[in-house]
Order: sequence, then C-alpha cells, then structure tokens
Amino acid sequence: MAERIVVDPITRIEGHLRIEAEIKDGKIVDAYSSSTMVRGIEEIVKGRDPRDVWAFVQRTCGVCTTVHALTSVRAVEDALGIVIPPNAELVRNIMEGALYMHDHVVHFYHLHALDWVDVVSVLSADPAETAKIAQSISHWPKSSVGYFSDVQKRIKKFVDSGQLGIFANGYWGHPQMKLPPAVNLLAVAHYLEALEWQKEIVKVHTIFGGKNPHPNYLVGGMACAINTDDPGGINAERLAYVGHLLEEGKRFVEQVYIPDLLAIASFYKDWGAIGQGFGNYMAYGDFPTNGYHDKAGFKFPSGVILNRDISEIHPIDHRDSTEIVEYVNKSWYDYAGGNDTGLHPWDGETKINYSGPQPPYEHLDVDQKYSFIKTPRWKGKPMEVGPLARVLVGYASGREEFKEAVDGALAYLDVPVTALFSTLGRTAARGLETKIVAGWTMEFYNQLLTNIKNGDSRMANAEKLAPSTWPKECKGVGYMEAPRGGLAHWVKIKEGKVANYQQVVPSTWNASPRDPSGQMSAYEACLIDTPVADPELPLEIIRTIHSFDPCLACAVH
Amino acid sequence: MIETTEKRQTYYESIIANGFSRRDFMKFTAFMAAYLGLESSAIGQIDKALKTTPRLPIIWEHFQECTCCSESFIRTDHPIVADILLDKVSLDYTMTLMAASGHQAEAAKKATMENFKGEYILAVEGSVPMGADGNLCCIAGRSAIDQLRESAAGAKAIIAWGSCASNGCVQSARPNPTEATPIHKIIKDKPIIRVPGCPPIGEVMAGVIVHVIAFGKLPELDSQGRPKAFYAKRVHDSCYRRPYYDAGLFVESFDDENAKKGYCLYKVGCRGPMTYNACGTIKWNNGVSYPIQSGHGCIGCSEDNFWDNGPFYERLTNVPGFGIEETADKVGAIATGVVGAGVVAHAVAANIQKRKELKKRVEAGKDVEKNVERNI
Amino acid sequence: METTGIHTFKRIYVWEGPVRAFHWINAFSLLALAVTGVIIANPPAIMSGAEATNRYWFGITRFVHFAAAYIFTLGMVYRLCWAFLGNKYANWRVFFPYTKKGLHNLGHVIKHDILLMNPKNSDFREIAVGHNALAAMAYSGLFILMAIQIFTGFGLYADNATWWLPKLFAWVVPMLGGDAAARLVHHIVMWLIVIFSVIHIYLVLYHDWLEGRGEVSSMFGGYKFIRKERVKKD
Ligand code: HEM
Ligand code: HEM
Ligand code: NFV
Ligand code: SF4
Ligand code: SF4
Ligand code: F3S
Ligand SMILES: [Mg+2]
Repeated sequence: MAERIVVDPITRIEGHLRIEAEIKDGKIVDAYSSSTMVRGIEEIVKGRDPRDVWAFVQRTCGVCTTVHALTSVRAVEDALGIVIPPNAELVRNIMEGALYMHDHVVHFYHLHALDWVDVVSVLSADPAETAKIAQSISHWPKSSVGYFSDVQKRIKKFVDSGQLGIFANGYWGHPQMKLPPAVNLLAVAHYLEALEWQKEIVKVHTIFGGKNPHPNYLVGGMACAINTDDPGGINAERLAYVGHLLEEGKRFVEQVYIPDLLAIASFYKDWGAIGQGFGNYMAYGDFPTNGYHDKAGFKFPSGVILNRDISEIHPIDHRDSTEIVEYVNKSWYDYAGGNDTGLHPWDGETKINYSGPQPPYEHLDVDQKYSFIKTPRWKGKPMEVGPLARVLVGYASGREEFKEAVDGALAYLDVPVTALFSTLGRTAARGLETKIVAGWTMEFYNQLLTNIKNGDSRMANAEKLAPSTWPKECKGVGYMEAPRGGLAHWVKIKEGKVANYQQVVPSTWNASPRDPSGQMSAYEACLIDTPVADPELPLEIIRTIHSFDPCLACAVH
Repeated sequence: MIETTEKRQTYYESIIANGFSRRDFMKFTAFMAAYLGLESSAIGQIDKALKTTPRLPIIWEHFQECTCCSESFIRTDHPIVADILLDKVSLDYTMTLMAASGHQAEAAKKATMENFKGEYILAVEGSVPMGADGNLCCIAGRSAIDQLRESAAGAKAIIAWGSCASNGCVQSARPNPTEATPIHKIIKDKPIIRVPGCPPIGEVMAGVIVHVIAFGKLPELDSQGRPKAFYAKRVHDSCYRRPYYDAGLFVESFDDENAKKGYCLYKVGCRGPMTYNACGTIKWNNGVSYPIQSGHGCIGCSEDNFWDNGPFYERLTNVPGFGIEETADKVGAIATGVVGAGVVAHAVAANIQKRKELKKRVEAGKDVEKNVERNI
Repeated sequence: METTGIHTFKRIYVWEGPVRAFHWINAFSLLALAVTGVIIANPPAIMSGAEATNRYWFGITRFVHFAAAYIFTLGMVYRLCWAFLGNKYANWRVFFPYTKKGLHNLGHVIKHDILLMNPKNSDFREIAVGHNALAAMAYSGLFILMAIQIFTGFGLYADNATWWLPKLFAWVVPMLGGDAAARLVHHIVMWLIVIFSVIHIYLVLYHDWLEGRGEVSSMFGGYKFIRKERVKKD
C-alpha cells in the first residue's frame, strides 16, 4: 500500500506550500501541491485608480519584487494606449536584469543549495583541497587556503555553540548528499559571500526606483528623471554607480555562480533523469528592445513547446479568450457560472470560498478542492514555465546565445540534451540564463548612456496620466518573463477605475492543482517517479520542488 | 518522530562515508536530537549548555505576507545578515532561510519554544486572516491564529515586522476579503515592537535586533509601539527636497523641468508630510537613495491604512463615500458653488416674497422722511 | 401686530466690545487660515529656474497659517470665557435654544426667513434681539467645526512643535488613523466653514436689508435698534 507523506511547510521558498505525496516501493506514485494562504489582491485592486495598481500588485511578492509592478504598468499602458520613452524601457530592462541576477543567485545559494550541500560536512573538509578546486574552476580572487580555513573555523565555532539556527534539523548526513567535504566547504563559503553580494546588486533598483524590495514604477515611464547637469536627477555619478554594480554582478555570476553550479551539478548527474514532468514548456518572451508591442524585438523569444518537441514552437496570444483560461475546480473559489468551466482572465473572478478541512488537519481532501491556487491552462494543456522553458524556447528558436550556453553546459557535464528536462536541467537553466541576462543588461546600460549622450533625456510620457484623457472603457494585458516564468496581468478599466484585474503568475502555472480533466500541473507531475530514500526526511521532494523556485504568494496572490 | 535508532545508524554510516569524524557526528546528532526534543541524559547536558550561552533565539513566523520583509532584512548592510545569523542571534525558525522543511522545521520551532520559554523573541512577518474561521492561512495543517497564539505564549517580546504585521498592509485594504488583522489586535499580553514599512528598511530591522542585543532591552517605543529611534520623524521633516517645499517649488508632472531639477514632489502626491519613517535619514540599501531621491513621491508605506489613502498621485485622498474621483476640493468647491447659487436664489426669492413686508416697513418711514428737518 | 405709523426705536447695546473683538479676530484669522490652508493644500505652479535659496514663500504661507492658528485659538478661548462673563446675548445659554420659546422662534425663522413664507400676522416680537434660534444653533455648530480644526491642526502640528501646548494634541492624529486622515478631516472641515461663512454673511445682509435695524453695523458698534414697545414697562 502506498504511504501518504506530508511536507508542510516547505521552507526555503516564498510562501505557504504543502506537498502531499503517495510513496510506494520507495518512489512517489502520486502527488498533490497546495497553497494554504490567500490574500485576495485581485479583489482589493478593483475600483482603484489604475495608476496606483502597480504598487498594490507589486506587494504580491517581495522576492520577485518589481515583476508585478512592471507587468501592471504594462497592462495599464496597453489599455490606455500609452507609449513609454526608450529610456524608460531601458531602465525597466536594467532593473529586470538586476532582479534576475539577484533572484537567481539567492535562489541557488540560499534557497536551493542546502538540498545538495551538507553544511555539517564542512567541518571535516581540507581547506587546501577546497582552495585547489576553487582555483581550478574560477578566477574568483577569494580562493586562498587561509580564506577557506577561516570560513571553516567560523562554521565550527557556530556548530560548537550548539545553536544551529537556520541549519537546525537540516538533512545533514542524508544518503543523498553526495558532495565531498571540500566542495561543501566551497559552497558554504559562497553561501556567505552570496549573502553579502546580493545586497549590492539590488542597489540598481534603489538608484532608479528609490528602494528595494519594492522599488517605484510609474505608469507612462519611470519617475527617475535624467539630468546630467543637476544633483536632482540621474546624472553621471548615479549612472556610474549602476554601471559598477552591473559589472560586479556580472562578475559574480560568471566567476562564482556558474562555476559552482557546474561543479555541484557534476556530482548529481543522476538528477538529470528525475523530476521530468509532462514536457510542455511556455515562455511569453521579454526584454523588449523596440517597445512592448514589437515581439520580434524581445531578447527572450516567446512560444510554446509541446511534448519536448523542440523542433516546433507554437505562438501564444494573450488576448484570445480560448487560449489561456483558469479553472477553480480544485481551488477554494467559486465561479458565478459554475466551477467546471475555465475563464479567460479578462473575465476572471476571484471569490474565495474555503471548503477544505478544519485545521488542525492531517491531510487535505484531495478529491475535493485542495488549494488556493487556480489552475491555468493553455489550449487545455498544462504548461511548465520558468528558466527551463525560456532556455528551451530560446534554444529551439535558434538564438545563438542560448545554443552556446546550453551546448557548453551539456558538454561540460557530459550529459545528453534530454537531461535538460529534469530537476537538474531546471536548476542549470536558471544559471545559464542568468549569465545571458547579465550580458544583455550591460547592453541596455550602454544603450542608455548612448541615448543620453545623444541628447534624449526623456523618462516618462505624462500625456495620458490624467484620468480625464482616458477612454470611458478599455482593457489591456501586460506580460513579461518573471524569474520564475511567464507572468501576465489582465486589466479592464471603466470610468477611470479598475473594473476587473486578474493575475496569472508563473507559480500559478507550475504549482496549481489538477484541472477538470485530471491533468496535473508541473509540481505534481514532476514529483511522480521521484525516488525517496527515507519518507521521514523528504529531501528528494524538496529538491525537485525547489528546482522550480516556488513562490506561493505569487501563485495565489 | 525519529523513533528508530537504526535509521540514524544509517546516517552515521553515510556520514562517516562522507568523511566526517566520529566526534563531529556525535556532536551533530546530539544537537539534532536536542532540536527534535528528544529526552536522554546526554541531551539534557547539551540542553543546559544551550541555555547558558545562547545567542538570542528568534522564531520568525510567516503569515499573510510577500516575504519582502525577510528580503529587506537580508539586505542590511550594518551589520550584514551573515554576521547577525552566525554571531548575534539564533534564527531557529523561518520559512525563508531554514534548511529543514516539514516536520523537521516544526520540530525546530517546538524545541526553541520549550528550551527558551520566556526568552526567545517572536518575529512576525505578515498579518493573520481572521475570516473563514481563520482557515485562510494554514501552516503544517494548523491555522495561523493557532500558530501565533502558541509561539507568542512563550515569547519574551514580539517584533511585528513590516506593515503586514503591524497594520495589515495590502491585504487589509478595502474590502479586506480575508479580514487580515495585525498582530497587536490579536496578542494583547506581550510587549510588541511595531516596525512598519512595506517593507521596513533593512538597517532599521537589523537596528531593532541589535538594540535588543547590545543594550539588553527593548528599544523605547512611541505611543503607537514603534521604536522612536526610527519612527519619531516624518519623512518630510528630514527630506533633502524640503528647501524646495519651503520655497514653493514643486514638480508639476513627472519628467517635467521641475522634476529634472529635483524639486519637491508634494503636488504629485508625496506622502512624506504624513509619514513617519527613517527614509530621509537612513535611506535605503545602505544609504544609496530613497523613493523621493529617485523622483517618486513617498506613498506612505509605513502608515496605518496607507493603501486606502490613495490615489497616490493626488495630493489628497478620495473622499470616502463619494465614489468616482472626488477629492475634498472638488466636493468642497461644488458644495460651495451650490450654496452660493442657493444664496443668490434665496436673495432673488426674498426680493419677491418679502416685497410687501419691506414695503410696509419702508412706508412706515415715509412720513418721517417727509418731516426730516434738513437735507444735510 | 404690525402697525403702520411712526415707531419709536430704542438703541440697545447687544454686542459688547469683547464679542465684537472676538468676532472680527475670528473672521479675519479664519480668512487667513482658509486662504493659507488652500494654498498649502494646492500650491500654485511655478515653473522657474529660481533657486530655493532665495525663496521662502511656501514656508511663509505655512508660518502665516500657524500664526493665525494661534490667534484664532486664543480668540476661541477668550470667547469661551466671555460666555460666562458677558451679557445675556453673549451668555453660553443662547447657544442652546432648546427651550419652548427657542424652538418656537426656530420655527418662525425657518418659516419666515428661510422658506420666505409670509405669516398672516407677523409679530415683531419674533425678531430676535440677540441671535435668533437658528443662528445660535449654526454658531454652536460652527464652534464645533472650529474645535475640530484646532484639534486636528494642533495634532498635525504637534510633531513639529517645540512647545508643550501643541504636543497636548498629539493623540488626535493616531486616533483618526494617521496624518493622511487628519489632513483630510482638516481639509474637509475648512470647506464646511467656508460654506457656513457664505450663508452667514448672506443672512446677516438679508436681515439688515429686511429689518432695517442696523444688523451689520451692530457687529461694529455693538448697538441694534428695537421697538420701544418691546421694552418692559416696569
Ligand atoms: C479653522 C481654521 C482652519 C482652516 C480653515 C485650516 C485650513 C487648512 C487647510 C485647508 C490645510 C491644508 C490641508 C491639506 O490639504 O493637507 C491646513 C493645513 C494645516 N493646518 Fe490648518 N486650518 C485651520 C486651523 C488650523 C489650526 C488651528 C491649526 C493649528 C496649528 C492648523 C494647523 C495646520 C497644519 C499643521 C497644517 C498642515 C500644514 C503643513 O504641515 O504643511 N490649522 N489647514
Ligand atoms: C468669515 C466670516 C465670518 C464668520 C466666520 C462669522 C462668525 C460669526 C459668529 C461666530 C458669530 C456669533 C458671535 C458670537 O455670538 O460671539 C457671528 C455673529 C454675527 N456676525 Fe459674523 N462672521 C463672519 C463674517 C461676518 C460679516 C462679514 C458680518 C457683517 C459685516 C458679520 C456680522 C455678524 C453679525 C451682525 C452677527 C450677530 C448676528 C446675530 O445678531 O445673530 N459677520 N458671526
Ligand atoms: N511565481 C512567481 Fe513571482 C516570480 N518570479 C512572479 O510573477 O515570485 Ni514571487
Ligand atoms: S509589509 Fe509590505 S513588504 Fe512586508 S511582507 Fe507585507 S506586503 Fe510585503
Ligand atoms: S518631496 Fe515629499 S517629503 Fe520631500 S519635501 Fe517634498 S513633500 Fe516633503
Ligand atoms: S513610501 Fe515608504 S519607503 Fe519611505 S519614503 Fe515613503 S515611507
Ligand atoms: Mg489570479
């Protein structure tokens, strides 16, 4: 008989995720993904001033902070027909690029690494060996024996104190932990370095948006005016600061993140066959270079891959009411027109109605509704979104930079292309795209400098900012590639107020419960067949789940 | 949970295989066991050691939130978060950073609640939904209210991080579909430090913790439970654009000439004059900038109820109850206009209606007029 | 009882010096507060290259507002004392015309002056010597509005103040739910006071026009005129 295990809370993610899995003969045979927290942001923004909505929906998530703000201003600008100046687009791209670097690095070291890295094993590492490994894989200057030995001493003192803090009860010594102590020490040293580094790259947001988390956006452009001859605006010092931060960020990604990723991955190649899922991948595309409406100018191409067939890419239309719809057949909401039909987000509804078990409970009743996440489908099919989807779509579109990155990594690890469709592939794709995006971000930065040099200092288009200039009724859609995948917001505006607002979020796609035809979404599907050595210690489950970088505040909102 | 010693034997083997020394392993398992709340004589000893030289234990709960408070916290520059976590506090439970998940995570929390009863700090990120019997936020199959009451019971003090925990933040904005409720409205019998902001500044968060450790006591709070050190002044009162405000030089619309000169953002909705926070003094992300310095007005993110004080780009809030786009001025001007028109209408009507009465009075004086002695 | 023919009017001292002084201090400080308040709420657009160093007009506007606020508040306190010291027209009781006589007068004022009905036999005794009942009620309403301004105003001011007096009001702002709410209340009440003033000035002029007994000048000289018949014979 299958054994039902529960992992709740799943930690090192954003939000409240609960996994229930059936295990039989050491393998997962069935899995259920649920989010157990809801806020109702879509209801809260109804009736608000559309110019304010970015701030509300930005608070959907403080981890992928900015993505909902950007998506919202795009949606509202789309509805009101506002075209933003090129500089504003560049600044938004630069901020998004900085977010990718931050979010992916933090995910790798602070949210994912402890699934693969044994902190306690660091105590028995030989710092000299670690230094040798470090120097062999990267030029990163902090690689001396003394440095690693200091880190080791620090960890030792920490462990000796008896208070393990965030490392208490971790999966140390688990049979699935495969790294040699020297590599563990390297990873832990970089865990601490990354923790210190990550607070730097976000300063790009602080300069353009005033703070991070939750920098400021503006319908019509950005609020940070350019003035090269005044302390009041973005001037040479501010731009130099951004340039410096981006260079440092890129260097960290290239010299620390990527080498560590590949080094660690080489000990876990078996995970290139675990966590595969259904093989449908979707990317909306992002990083416009010629305005939001010119998809051809996007750095990330858009499209859908079905059944791992990378020879064909299917186009997506966010405005077509038959393509993207959301179901609530297994989610704690009610649709006025019945719970088995899907609604296109422009006509979406968010009426919370909890019907799960009364807490405290042992198990969810998965035959009934079992999550606060709605279930989105594209033409009736479940989709996986995220770094892997983006990299695959980029690869399949024949974009050179993707080909180079992917083929290089596959060669380095000596694994076949099929290893991409896996937990390992997901984690690797995240690193590869970070490097690509870091490169683009420098391009955007240089373009911004060129524009300013050529005398264009426009940053916002305030022409249609006054509600009196708006049509009586209009609707729009904003989409982007958030770090965790394709994100879109649909807005309807009526008499100057938001009449309806719906967010369909990357983690909504991946973490949702089943649809009316019983199809699983990505988390559930990818858990099937995962081996579990010890059901009491669900390390394998959190590895695959973490490979998606879950964000439940996003997923439910 | 870990009832079977054999199982640990297996870890032991694998750990040795991974190059640990036996001593390391003993130490580790003992701590792990202690955290799992196991009873044995050896563990009892360690338990004592834990209690004699502890870093400040913290349990950090996550309820209805967006994790930006945790994110802000890890951005602190002085001290950096690694130093806080390794040297100053023992963050024994936090869904964002802790290695353990599921039962292991809950067990770590339980161990701290038991071993450090009355000594640990409870940090809360997020509000608690009181709607639907509290079922709208559950962790480990238990409701947020239940979890909060339990972890608050043994806490020395509570830190309510961010606007969510200290005023309900975005989810409590109209119509507050989940009845999101801040912590001080639920827990009444513990000292609560409210650290509002969406999120609060990282250095402010670290500062609150450092204060507790360095001075051995809670920071002094204002009448609303906020540390005076960071919330005693309005953003406006420490804003570097203040001279432009006093000089009456304002940004009229975004990216206009005045915006490029860095004039005051009051007229494009800046809430600095109504917002208590340290943004103007400490600034953000180690002093790099703050909203106003980057050209956007303050939206008042540390004030109670700030989400319902919009629209953010208008100087004043919409008048509640006046649906569409009505600011106080519009209502006021229209009302005054109506009254003015009423007055004029009344005056006209009075001239008609009261003609007789007035005439009577005027008539009554006619003979007097005739009999006036002199014309001058 | 209206009779034609020559009437004898008696000059009668209604508004004592302190009341008149209060009235005009109040009227002018309110005018200053409303004007500066509107400017504070909605500063005019100045697109100029001038540097902030040489300008301070907005600061001065706020200074005038706060200075006027103090004068205005002192005036209020002064008037409050006079409600216990002054003559019967100034006494606090007149602001509570909820007696039989008072309500009767209220009915008359509403019918005669507001709805402009013409009673068959208008009785000159209905014409109030001091405030009529409706006016008295309006003034008590106005006093409440002015008190709200003082509380919210000093509440907002408390954190800038170095003196203890404004700090006494520090509790008001949190009670209302923060600075934004307090400013909104302060702002809305300004409009209510403006509306009062429009009606008040009109009605003063109306009464002066209709009754012809020196209503307007009474607030300068203190005297009104009443018919000799109304003076008690004893
Ligand atoms: C009854 C007469 C008053 C009127 C009509 C009046 C009107 C106003 C108005 C319209 C504003 C602008 C509010 C906004 O839109 O944010 C304002 C602001 C203010 N008023 Fe008054 N006010 C009055 C009395 C007072 C009093 C008695 C005080 C006491 C000190 C006061 C203190 C303030 C303060 C502190 C502000 C905020 C100004 C700033 O900080 O820039 N007001 N007033
Ligand atoms: C902002 C403008 C004004 C305000 C707020 C105002 C307010 C008041 C108040 C509060 C009283 C009651 C005084 C007391 O009993 O202590 C009053 C009475 C009076 N006011 Fe004004 N006043 C204003 C303007 C004027 C003007 C312009 C005039 C005429 C020139 C005027 C003439 C009078 C008269 C005649 C009375 C006595 C009314 C009566 O007999 O019932 N007021 N006013
Ligand atoms: N899922 C998700 Fe997000 C992202 N990336 C948003 O759209 O994390 Ni909070
Ligand atoms: S206070 Fe704001 S920043 Fe913090 S968790 Fe709540 S929504 Fe996020
Ligand atoms: S920008 Fe805002 S906080 Fe700064 S002076 Fe102007 S109104 Fe005050
Ligand atoms: S919006 Fe918040 S971050 Fe500071 S400047 Fe205002 S309090
Ligand atoms: Mg949604």
